[in-house]
Amino acid sequence: MNKDAYKDMWVHVEHDGKTIHPVSLELCCQVRKLCDQSGDGLVAVVPGELEQEQLDKLSDCGIDKLILVSGQGYDRYSTQAYSNLYVELCEKYRPSAVFVGASVNGRDFAPHFAARLETGCTSDATELIYNPQTRDIEFVEPAAGGKIMAVITIPELRPQVGTIRPGTFKYAPAGKREHIQIIREKISTLPEDIPTKLLAYKANEADPELDISTAQRVVCVGDGLKDESLPMYRELAALLGAKLAATRPVVDRELLPYRLQVGQSGVMIKPKLYICFGVSGAVNHVTGVDAELFIAVNRDENAAIFNYCDYGIVGDMDEVCQEMIQALKNAQA
Amino acid sequence: MLNILCCVKQVPDVNQMRMDPETGSLIRAGVPSMLNPQDSNALSAALKIKETYGGQVTVISMGPPAAEAVLRECLAVGADKAVLISDKAFGNADTLATSYTIRSAAETLGHFDLIFCGKETLDGATGQMGAQLAQRFDAAFVSSALLIKELDQDKGSLIVDRELEDGVETLEVRMPVVFTMEKTNYPTRIPNLKGKLAAKKAQISLISSMDIPELDRTRIGDPGSPTKVPRMFPPVLPEPGVILNEGSTQANVAKLLQIIAE
Repeated sequence: MNKDAYKDMWVHVEHDGKTIHPVSLELCCQVRKLCDQSGDGLVAVVPGELEQEQLDKLSDCGIDKLILVSGQGYDRYSTQAYSNLYVELCEKYRPSAVFVGASVNGRDFAPHFAARLETGCTSDATELIYNPQTRDIEFVEPAAGGKIMAVITIPELRPQVGTIRPGTFKYAPAGKREHIQIIREKISTLPEDIPTKLLAYKANEADPELDISTAQRVVCVGDGLKDESLPMYRELAALLGAKLAATRPVVDRELLPYRLQVGQSGVMIKPKLYICFGVSGAVNHVTGVDAELFIAVNRDENAAIFNYCDYGIVGDMDEVCQEMIQALKNAQA
Repeated sequence: MLNILCCVKQVPDVNQMRMDPETGSLIRAGVPSMLNPQDSNALSAALKIKETYGGQVTVISMGPPAAEAVLRECLAVGADKAVLISDKAFGNADTLATSYTIRSAAETLGHFDLIFCGKETLDGATGQMGAQLAQRFDAAFVSSALLIKELDQDKGSLIVDRELEDGVETLEVRMPVVFTMEKTNYPTRIPNLKGKLAAKKAQISLISSMDIPELDRTRIGDPGSPTKVPRMFPPVLPEPGVILNEGSTQANVAKLLQIIAE
């Protein structure tokens, strides 16, 4: 493969017709840095209609080109329409890389069009490095449940496709470029070519207990949790005025719902106070926590979680929890 | 009759994996293998469809011969047939090569109306297999499927709820369909003794690269995998925090609550 034949790095712009998904802006900001090193242009690809004021936000992130795609099939999401769009555009313009925010829909179509193009797709990188020797992007991501970091590359094929979780990179706009080239494309996918048809949409009922993304205080239980001890942690959370959350193994054990899963593959949280019990400290989990005060309780003094905490207690989690409940109750009385 | 395929994977229990502090590599020895947790939810959904509408559930897995164990787990809770795709030539495959291999192997078994997968695996965790299988099978794709509500075999369509970040959409979908399943409505099934005994004796079909006519060998295993892993390294750990050491749990907790109060 001649790598010279593939130019520019693209960012898929996800939006609901009104506002751009934050992950797309985060990606524009991060990929701008890669482009500065590689000499590629940064291109934002916008399927469907979007107001100028929103497009300006993309411009602020330092894009060189904007591809505006009109046509049928973008009023509502479908795998087919989005996959068709990227297959057609990639064949025409030959980008070096395509980045897609790992929303539910981003994760739905990105691997699909990558397979149609017979190219590689990576997911959930936490770091992106441009290697000037190989001219490949190094997607650095936690592997084996976060016990190790793996460098993934796509050395022989283009485009390099990657989905990135929301919140992984910071929104730090590099500023508007003097010249932004605007390209207009029309690509349509007809309703009869889409095997899914939207019948209804129902927004989630707001259940404050299940919304941990904005919680000020969070008590999190990890794999060290005994099934029968769960009520104790609910009680502690209530006493602290905190929301109860969990790590992935606890959700896998079906003890708590997925919406309470903290981490890269769950919810990213920014609480003032975060206390975790029996959490080992896998990268996937800790990257999801940005806490002002981070407290860890674990029986294993070598647990990685102690490297991320401000304060830690080495000890039996249930004993510490029980003691905290008692002390808080005493203080109330 | 509905022909249902459920794709499963044997994974190491990564929660039990430890890193060798000397070499920085993962210690795999002694780490037990298991059925990928989310695949058990996909299987529950496949079995539920079979129980409601009739049909046959085939479980398929690609992996080493030892992966037979997870297929027997699936048979023990009600899968009808189990197929293991196993061959050294398939080794080291990424999702692109794996999706091609599974589709190629499945084609030797017949046409499938419904194909179920877990949302992602415990080990690779790319969450890409569903989308890439849908592309390979030229099927509709419903990721994060929450509940399959109605299935009309004459019309060849079904109605399914799909979970998004902020709500649930209801879709009408033309078959064939590939689903990745949410676990909410399809909890893991626990086998009974009778199921376990039957699964122990059951025949598992083996598909090697020789059993797939017109298999494109440039598209399987390592050569067919565009993503490579040039290196791994241990996560860089920040400096440890302050470990409270006040002499007793009670004293530690008192100190902790004082810190929180500040």
